[in-house]
Amino acid sequence: MRSDERVFLLGEDIGHYGGAFGVTAGLFEKFGADRVLDTPIAEEGFVGAAIGAAWQGERPVVELQFADFASCPFDMIVTVAAKTHWRSGIAVPIVIRAPNGGGVRGGPFHASSPEGWFVGVPGLKVVCPGTIEDAYGLLRSAIEDDDPVLFFEHKGLYRRLKGSRPPEETRTPIGRARIVRGGSAATVITYGSGVELALGLEHDVEVLDLRTLWPFDREAVLESVGRTSRALVLQEAARSSGVAGHILALLATEGFELLDAPPAVLAPPDTPVPFAPELEDAYLPSAHTLNAAIEDLLAY
Amino acid sequence: MPTDTRLELFRLMLLQRTFEERTWALYRQGRISGSMYDGLGQEAVAAAAGLALEDGDVVAPLNRELATHFARGVTVADAFRNFLGRGDGPTFGRDGNMHFGAPARGVFPLVSMLGNLCPVVVGAALAFKRRGEPRVALTFLGEGAFSVGDTHEGLNLAAVWHVPAVFILQSNGYSYSTPSSAQMVNTNLAERIQGGWSIPAVRVDGTDAMIAFDAIKAAVERARAGEGPQAVECVTLRGHGHAAHDDASYVPAELRASFAGRDPIELLEAQIGPGAAVVRHAVVEEISAALAEAEASPAPDPAAMEHGIYANPL
Repeated sequence: MRSDERVFLLGEDIGHYGGAFGVTAGLFEKFGADRVLDTPIAEEGFVGAAIGAAWQGERPVVELQFADFASCPFDMIVTVAAKTHWRSGIAVPIVIRAPNGGGVRGGPFHASSPEGWFVGVPGLKVVCPGTIEDAYGLLRSAIEDDDPVLFFEHKGLYRRLKGSRPPEETRTPIGRARIVRGGSAATVITYGSGVELALGLEHDVEVLDLRTLWPFDREAVLESVGRTSRALVLQEAARSSGVAGHILALLATEGFELLDAPPAVLAPPDTPVPFAPELEDAYLPSAHTLNAAIEDLLAY
Repeated sequence: MPTDTRLELFRLMLLQRTFEERTWALYRQGRISGSMYDGLGQEAVAAAAGLALEDGDVVAPLNRELATHFARGVTVADAFRNFLGRGDGPTFGRDGNMHFGAPARGVFPLVSMLGNLCPVVVGAALAFKRRGEPRVALTFLGEGAFSVGDTHEGLNLAAVWHVPAVFILQSNGYSYSTPSSAQMVNTNLAERIQGGWSIPAVRVDGTDAMIAFDAIKAAVERARAGEGPQAVECVTLRGHGHAAHDDASYVPAELRASFAGRDPIELLEAQIGPGAAVVRHAVVEEISAALAEAEASPAPDPAAMEHGIYANPL
């Protein structure tokens, strides 16, 4: 916001209150009401307004209070933001921040990982950082990008990851995965909260952080699996959502001969996110279930 | 109203009418794919809104506002290119009929989900307000869009943010085949918009180009002067069906009769007198030349289909 006057924020309770998760705390006091706009509860309306402001040269950053609420402005995102440049040449440089993920007992409407709704939509870019450096670097890249970017940030990582702010020039390139940890026995292809989980594995496995979910880094997936010959997709989105299907399709069509075992998926079942601790803990991937999934993959 | 404004309104209305008569013929000949939508009977509103805007203003026209495009400087040849799906048209053959914009002319392309463009235009007006620019953003809303949530959210944001947005309410009696009385209880949109969102609104006869122009111009200038969002309801009757496949046989004869003698082009022509003939001649010439130009344009290249999905390709 300091480096670009065109950047302004809009969303629910992001002003004085600082946002439901405190993400914009202090910005209202620092930059004022013209740059940090509290909106009525109208996601379709203010995402639409962000598109209009972007059309007229601004760089709006929208905050959705929870990623689950991406259902409300869905039409504005997939109909207007995604299709406008292709059919008219008008760029729509908006960023939509959306806290996703579970583990906070949020239940069916406050803990979803709906990034898969937007994966595969031409015209959209979908990113999801799993580290502090990428949270900063991807956000800077997303704001500088001329296309609509959906920025999913895991609400559990808000508190779990600790560290200092990366240097101001840090940028994470959109569309590029990163090998977070090298390994030779298998590749764990993951993003967001899955990165933290995968780094806890004691096996000799490579951890590939997709970082961008759409369009995702196909070459990086094929390159890593080409070396390890085994692949496990780990995601917090329900099994038939997220990116798992796209990764499996890539491996089946272009990576078939690289594989020594059928590619595996560790993801929650195809249900909404449950509330009760006993249910949510069973629903989410854990160190225990990940360990078992890797053992199975390596034993094939 | 100065004579040149009246003549320009007439020219714009006639351009739309003549263009649409030509595209209807092309459609029936199978030379235009998809469907055909027109603004028969509503040309005065489209022309008046287009002409009421200044150079730096922006607009999002809908289905029945071709004259607004022409008023913004969109060429007739480019409009034909879009209807014909040509590769060098405004949407490169990727979208058809009146679904096109003109980035350099401040025209946002129509989105079929009517109501979507209401918040978009409010956002453009917000950008102008943020930068302190004396510019205005305008769009249209029909009775159908008035049933859509986006419209309510957009109007509310416009009012809360007090932005220079102007809403032209196209009361043409129907949303596809559904009469306004089945869309809403109170069909006086100006009353609703004023009472519901505290946005100043007037209701005028949309078949009278001069009345429509005066009302819209005044609304645009109030918005420009910092008085916040404004609305003008223009009452007309949709001349044709929703689209080419719809014969509008459901419109009662009595309703049709109540609009007899209210063709907006004939009404204005009677006021202009002999000067109108010169305009008529020039418009026919322009339409024919533009169609020939558009027909000579290249077809789109399937190999380029994926170009432009992103402004910054990966």
